[in-house]
Amino acid sequence: MTIRPGSLTFLIVAITAFGTPGFSCAQPAPKHVFVYIDTVMAADTQEGVDPRVKPMLPKLRGLFSFTTYSMINSQEGDTECGKMIAFTIPGGKILHVQPRAVDGDMIAMEIVLFDGTRPMMTTDLKLKNGGTLIVGGPRYEQGMMFMSIGASTGPRPLTPAEVTSPANSPVTSPAAETH
Amino acid sequence: MLGAFEDAELEPNEMQEVAHHLARCQTCTSILTDYSSLGRELRSITPAPDFSSPALAGFSRAVIARIDRLPQPWFRRIERFLRSGADSLGSGFAWGGAVAVVAVLTVFLLSPFAQKYSNQPVPSTITAANQLADATIPTIGEPARNEPAMADSDSHADISRLESDNPSMAVWSEPRKDTTVIWLPDQP
Repeated sequence: MTIRPGSLTFLIVAITAFGTPGFSCAQPAPKHVFVYIDTVMAADTQEGVDPRVKPMLPKLRGLFSFTTYSMINSQEGDTECGKMIAFTIPGGKILHVQPRAVDGDMIAMEIVLFDGTRPMMTTDLKLKNGGTLIVGGPRYEQGMMFMSIGASTGPRPLTPAEVTSPANSPVTSPAAETH
Repeated sequence: MLGAFEDAELEPNEMQEVAHHLARCQTCTSILTDYSSLGRELRSITPAPDFSSPALAGFSRAVIARIDRLPQPWFRRIERFLRSGADSLGSGFAWGGAVAVVAVLTVFLLSPFAQKYSNQPVPSTITAANQLADATIPTIGEPARNEPAMADSDSHADISRLESDNPSMAVWSEPRKDTTVIWLPDQP
């Protein structure tokens, strides 16, 4: 068997090239991730609970003891792993969410919260599919603001309150932009 | 071609053709005989160099060392390695082994197994986040749960990195509500 110097080079280059994800036909399709952000104002002003916040109330009652909850806005957008989606949050804040990978029932993502152009917080985390992360604390009007950040690989699941009361369905804002 | 035939410089099929022709052609056979005798005479006139003589001592070693020092292209080195493997194991086996190794490496690197390892959180950042979890809980609104805890396997979030220039940042999770909270109070 005669081995020409170029043939080995060609073989290695061919196997490596066709084996890499960029050339591979067996590459899995990009995973779609739905991201939803509810921005809520919480205060101790005894003004009650906004009906749109009621679906979240059981969760909030276990975390905080505010007397007033008011939905500032609700946004959702869909993106795919590796693509960042930006949400404009009231109070001059911007939230960047970039899903990185879907690993079983967990969604790995990077979240960056900006105050104007200044990054306030950067985190890498894995969120359970359909789970929620709350980022809060900044003052807003007479109380404080928090964002409920959810992510799922399917459309946002309706809460029992949303199913029984269509008027309570979230307000979708076109503020989200993907990059 | 007879000169090249005499010096065995022809391709195997050409050597065979010339040999066939010589078997039938007396003229060419006599010319070849002349070539052979001429070559023998020339070799007897010019003595072969004696590398063991003091004048040439170390010459061949120096030449080989100099050749070894010459930069070799990477494919030549791989080829030499494979050829040495082919000498001992057989060229087919060496080729098959090389292809199998490259294929196994490619499959491994593309497998979810390798991707799982590449997505592992860095332990040092978890420690940093744990330290952040011990920070003060915000005083405004008084959270219902006063025991800060890092997100763990029971909660919905697994934080591997958390950076902020806010010294009052706090993190805690509420496993019963499947929720993790990152609290960033405004700084005074």
